[in-house]
Amino acid sequence: MTTAAPPVNQLTPLEWVRKNLFKNWWSGVLTILLIPLILVLGYRAFLFFFVNGQWEAVQRNLTLFMIGTFDREMEWRIYSQILLFVLAFGIGLGTNSAAVQDRAEDAGLPYERSSVLATVGRMWSLVVFLGILLWFASTDDVGGLLNPFLLIGAAVAVLLVGFQAFRFPRRLRSAGWLLTATFLVLGFQVVSGFDVGGWLPLGLTYGIAAYMVAPVGRFEAGWLRIVMRLVAAVAVVAVIRTIYALVDSPGIGWDEWSGLHLTLMVSAIAIVLAFPLGLLLALGRRSTLPAVRIMSTMYIEVIRGVPLITLLFMGQFILGFMLPAGTDLSAVSRAIAAMTLFTAAYVAEIVRGGLQALPRGQTEAGQALGLAPPTIMNRIVLPQALRAVIPAMVGQFISLFKDSSLLFIISIVEFLRVRSLVHTQPDFRAVSIAETLVFVAIGYWAFAFAMSRESQRLERRLRVTR
Amino acid sequence: MTETQTRELARPPFWRDIRVLRIVGQVLAVLVVFLVGRWLFSNLIDNLNRVNISTSFDFLSGPTNFQIPFCGECWVIPFQSRFNPRSPVWEMTVVGIKNTFLAGFFGVILASVVGVIVGISRLSENWLVARLATLYVEIFRNIPPLVIIIFFGFAVFTFGPFPILAESWELKVPGTDDNFLMINNDRWGIPGVSQVGEALVFFIVLLVVLIVAILIWRWRTRVFEQIGEPHHRVLWFIGVVVVGLVVAYLVSGAPFAMSWPELTENRRNISGGFQMNWGFMALTVALGLYTASHIGEIIRGSILAVDHGQSEAANALALNAFQRYRFVVLPQSMRIAVPPTINQYLNLVKNTSLGTAVSYAEITALTKTSIGNGRPAVQSIIIMMAVYLSFSLIISLILNIINRRIQLVAR
Repeated sequence: MTTAAPPVNQLTPLEWVRKNLFKNWWSGVLTILLIPLILVLGYRAFLFFFVNGQWEAVQRNLTLFMIGTFDREMEWRIYSQILLFVLAFGIGLGTNSAAVQDRAEDAGLPYERSSVLATVGRMWSLVVFLGILLWFASTDDVGGLLNPFLLIGAAVAVLLVGFQAFRFPRRLRSAGWLLTATFLVLGFQVVSGFDVGGWLPLGLTYGIAAYMVAPVGRFEAGWLRIVMRLVAAVAVVAVIRTIYALVDSPGIGWDEWSGLHLTLMVSAIAIVLAFPLGLLLALGRRSTLPAVRIMSTMYIEVIRGVPLITLLFMGQFILGFMLPAGTDLSAVSRAIAAMTLFTAAYVAEIVRGGLQALPRGQTEAGQALGLAPPTIMNRIVLPQALRAVIPAMVGQFISLFKDSSLLFIISIVEFLRVRSLVHTQPDFRAVSIAETLVFVAIGYWAFAFAMSRESQRLERRLRVTR
Repeated sequence: MTETQTRELARPPFWRDIRVLRIVGQVLAVLVVFLVGRWLFSNLIDNLNRVNISTSFDFLSGPTNFQIPFCGECWVIPFQSRFNPRSPVWEMTVVGIKNTFLAGFFGVILASVVGVIVGISRLSENWLVARLATLYVEIFRNIPPLVIIIFFGFAVFTFGPFPILAESWELKVPGTDDNFLMINNDRWGIPGVSQVGEALVFFIVLLVVLIVAILIWRWRTRVFEQIGEPHHRVLWFIGVVVVGLVVAYLVSGAPFAMSWPELTENRRNISGGFQMNWGFMALTVALGLYTASHIGEIIRGSILAVDHGQSEAANALALNAFQRYRFVVLPQSMRIAVPPTINQYLNLVKNTSLGTAVSYAEITALTKTSIGNGRPAVQSIIIMMAVYLSFSLIISLILNIINRRIQLVAR
């Protein structure tokens, strides 16, 4: 199919100005009023950012803003974490781009693989934030982040290495995803420690993977196949558990994290924990069993009716009392519990939206094939519904990320609370208040903006492919 | 399928019988929830008894024991008492609810006005206007409201460009000595209405007037529907209410008087007028601007969602630009925009709970202080959650009523 590109009307600058700024008298008046306003505001902003602003409070406390009171001896853990996460991100990116290409090839459509550069370009706000950090770090004589340039260079290298996952042959596509998950878990545990209890996430991931790929084709009976799959899964889990038991090196738990690190990790942990709960609640609310439906609906509506801060207060003041005497949960754990319970209700509503948007015919087709209800749910309904809600889930993650600033109010030292530490230092008492706030705001903005762009892109792509 | 065949089909064994499974599933679910709940509750009661914390609501009538910030002489609406540290805890709760309501109310107004302007500006043909609106939306939407609140609270209203209280900027009504606006870094004053006499009669008359006005609204609507005469129901309604207000004011013996803000003799305080302290200003402005960025996107989306054919049809009918928007595009886009906008209002009201960061005495901040002063946490938090839940319920109720009125009736 060949179609000629639509003709491009090249406007001369004068025509452009006339069309976009002075189309009618009303538009012209607005333009004339706005230009001086913009000039004044721009000038003031320029003065604030480059001339008058006393950025020393940020500059000298850059490490504090990033990792807060995290043990400085253990900084290498954070660096390893960043590199592992970047590696996981790169592998995921490469695998995803290869998977999209596979689908395009199957459908016989032309496709050009997305490059790393394009992805980084879409996240320009994060690049700007990194640039600000590097600028402060390089002009700071006290020494902020240890060799930040080295770290960024290593991260870029790791990202490019990870992206090579798109070269994997097609049958290893799932291996790409498995590697992504593995490096995410390892990256998390390089800080939190590889102690005995830490086998669970990796064990579950590999257990499920082993269950799915176990070579059981030569067994005739169906039940025997299931048994053999289970055996494979249990064996893999046992191996992983043993490895963890052998390594058993404790790390630094989340009670001792702070700064931007804590902000990012807490929101990620809460959304991961909230997802299964939210999925259950959504299914419960759509259930045909009245008791289950009523209980799920009540939970969702009550939680959605109160602000997050009341739940955080509950976590701080009540949760401790609700557990048997002697259990001692840290402030961060209680906050994570509150955020998880809160987010689960919103995730449930998002998933419910996805379930409702799925045409009834899909379920009915499954029933016509004589599939059992759980199979219909697992193989037909959920894969489609969950794929459709990815953009909304990213949106929910953004709002959770923004909401994590509420930990400020219950005195947990996250990104915003670091400011209070900075302003207790003798040099910065009651000075540079606007500067530190603007820095924190830019930090939040960079992440939220990058993610919102990504979610908009996902939404557009889903709409196109549907 | 014939009668005999049906009888021949044996019922499946009970563990595969859907009728049995449904009941078993529900009983199990209820049982699990009940047992977990009972376990948590009994732990709670045991632990509270062990450390000797009361589990009753008696503390509500005990003294509050602290002074609400900026509440040196604030009224406990609707009760005719002034709050002081010896006032009972439930009066503190009332003050908190009132302050939450005030912040939510003014925040909603600000958010709506700014949001509509931003939403329409984003679709402007003027490149500059559209770009500025986009910049606004992208900045405010992606920064946590708490950061914006703290920014306004500290970097703008207290440590910003405004003078200290003793040197307040005063904007006088021309020709008089009354202050129309007073600005300093502690609180802003605008003219208010103060009560100088018994007002019960006034409110009763006002209620009657409102009912009459609503009846007239409906009568005009009916007239319009039946004989097509222009209804002018908004004009009628406003007219009746204004006349009614005057009548009520006169009948009840002028119980209200204008009150102008002014510095006290020692220049340490402001008396009279309607005073807005810096926490209130920061909370309302910040939440208003934050929510406006969301409302702007809703408005923009809703206008874009109206099918282009509608505008073309309006053009074909030779409607002018104003008529096209007023009678064709806007009514349809409103139908799309109203539910998510009211959801944003709900979010705004819930976000007023962040007022504690700028020491604004809304219900969350007061509950936090009260718990810090040794009031039992469980009961205090239950009351606070109940307050927010009722706010949410009321707003969703309004949403449902409006929704029912504006949605297309499927024929």
